[in-house]
Amino acid sequence: MSSEARLVDTSFSRYDGPRAGRWAAIWSLARWSALRALGARRGWKVKVIPIALTLMAFAPALVILGLRALFGTSSLTKTIVDALPYSSYVSTVSIVVLVFSVVITPELVCPDRRDRTLSLYFSTAIGRFDYVLGKILAALMPLLLVTLAPVLLLYVGTVLFAVHPLGYVIGHGGDLLRIAGSGLIVATFYALVGLAISSLTSRRAFAVGGYLAFLAIPTVIGGVLGHALNERYLRLLAFAASPIRAGQGLFPGYSDRGGVSAAVWGSTAVEVSVVAIAVLAYRYGREQG
Amino acid sequence: MTSAGAGDSLVEIDGVVKRYGAVTALDGITATVSEQAVGLLGANGAGKSTLMRTILGLIRPDQGSVSVMGMGLDRSWDIRRRLGYMPEHSSLPMGMTARDLVVHMGELRGLPRRVAVLRASEVLFQVGLEEERSRLIRTFSVGMKQRTNLAQAIVHSPSLVILDEPTNGLDPAGREEMLLLVRRLSAELGIAVIMSSHVLEDVVRTCDSVIVLREGRIVARQALTAADRAPRGDVQVQLVGEPEPFVAAAAGLGLTVRADGEWLLVQGSDTDSVLRGVRDAAATSGVGLAELRPAGPTLEESLIGAIG
Repeated sequence: MSSEARLVDTSFSRYDGPRAGRWAAIWSLARWSALRALGARRGWKVKVIPIALTLMAFAPALVILGLRALFGTSSLTKTIVDALPYSSYVSTVSIVVLVFSVVITPELVCPDRRDRTLSLYFSTAIGRFDYVLGKILAALMPLLLVTLAPVLLLYVGTVLFAVHPLGYVIGHGGDLLRIAGSGLIVATFYALVGLAISSLTSRRAFAVGGYLAFLAIPTVIGGVLGHALNERYLRLLAFAASPIRAGQGLFPGYSDRGGVSAAVWGSTAVEVSVVAIAVLAYRYGREQG
Repeated sequence: MTSAGAGDSLVEIDGVVKRYGAVTALDGITATVSEQAVGLLGANGAGKSTLMRTILGLIRPDQGSVSVMGMGLDRSWDIRRRLGYMPEHSSLPMGMTARDLVVHMGELRGLPRRVAVLRASEVLFQVGLEEERSRLIRTFSVGMKQRTNLAQAIVHSPSLVILDEPTNGLDPAGREEMLLLVRRLSAELGIAVIMSSHVLEDVVRTCDSVIVLREGRIVARQALTAADRAPRGDVQVQLVGEPEPFVAAAAGLGLTVRADGEWLLVQGSDTDSVLRGVRDAAATSGVGLAELRPAGPTLEESLIGAIG
């Protein structure tokens, strides 16, 4: 008999201890939802895509830091490092961010509607508003993993490899805030839009298709018409690019090929986000639970 | 449920009206819940689910007020944190294991994570799913899903649990298990129960009192005693021949026989002994049985008219 063996009392007991409040319930919903969307406590097939996409998002930072580690501050390293400033990082991995959000956000809400789990949630301390808030947080956490964490890793690595780390932090302290702001803008936009579209259906495949169509079709139309009519503001139909451009506008030296300012891109991202919030409010405000 | 004014009431409902367009789902319901187990009985559309969801704060009444454990509906989230609810239709996430779901629901109702994990094991043991706790819910039978549904409703140790048609869709064996579990909640685990059903027997077997709803109104209420739950042995017979020898023979077999209009009322401890006694008394006394029927009125007969 193992010395680890122990007797466990499995009888039913009353619980009169402290009970957490509403915010703890929202956080619990967000944490469970995010972990499940990333494949936690599920089969490897569900895990493999989020893990692969996360690694792809980190790849540029890992390559740059690897080159730094191997070649120090040589001219080759400097050329490569300069080719990928913090302001361009999210733009460089934008397709990864897009695919990641398409994979993650439908997984957060479609199963609840398909399995009619909403009535179960609404019978707890979670209300309709709390549910939406919890799911937004649940979408933000994994999305920040690909929009914020890699750039933060690059920043931290750059500080560590700097000849004068403290001097680098003092000289580039503002970059940290810009990185955080940019990552948060992009993650919030993709979280809201992804959840809004996914809330319209209980079928994950339809949500993925609808999300891709919403981001791709206006981009193509805007690009073609913008080129044909020579109207730069038609480029704003590229909704997927709007939060990335707005995030880039936080960094000094912003430029845009079409001459559209970061503020205009930012206002487009805000308008689309507001519509997404309205869709979420409409969809879940009507739920009877 | 009793008339308003009971002592330690769990739920107080005062003049609740709920309309959906031209349909009045609840029409001036006033009641107080103070018993350990109360059954809501009524046909489909009688207002049972609407009343339960109003108690949970999921539905706002157009008129009237509801108080649960002293809290008004303005604190509905707090009410729901302290109540357990088992919805009528399966609403379980199919891709989760029973254990994960019960832990998760415990956390959503305010349990700290460590406590939720411990209590999930306890309640899954109580509902007989301890061996199946790590299986995905989608692989469960209907009965196992219903037991998982019950486990999530009691994981946070609620004072009151609301069960909406808990035997729906179950086969006879599953129904029997569920009724035993429901009775245990109030009788052994100290959790008050409000249970809806359109099957009188389910309510009689599990509840201390029954309230009958029809078209959104309370049309009958009655306390249920142990005698209501016990098998009824009384029968009425009409004989072909003289009754005296039959009465004497029946008395010799321990049965009580008395005249009841054109019938003889035969009473005994249970159905089997009465029917055997009637058969044997008839054979011994040499009379024939023209007609035999259960003695009334039964609880069912007294409530059936109210259900409509």
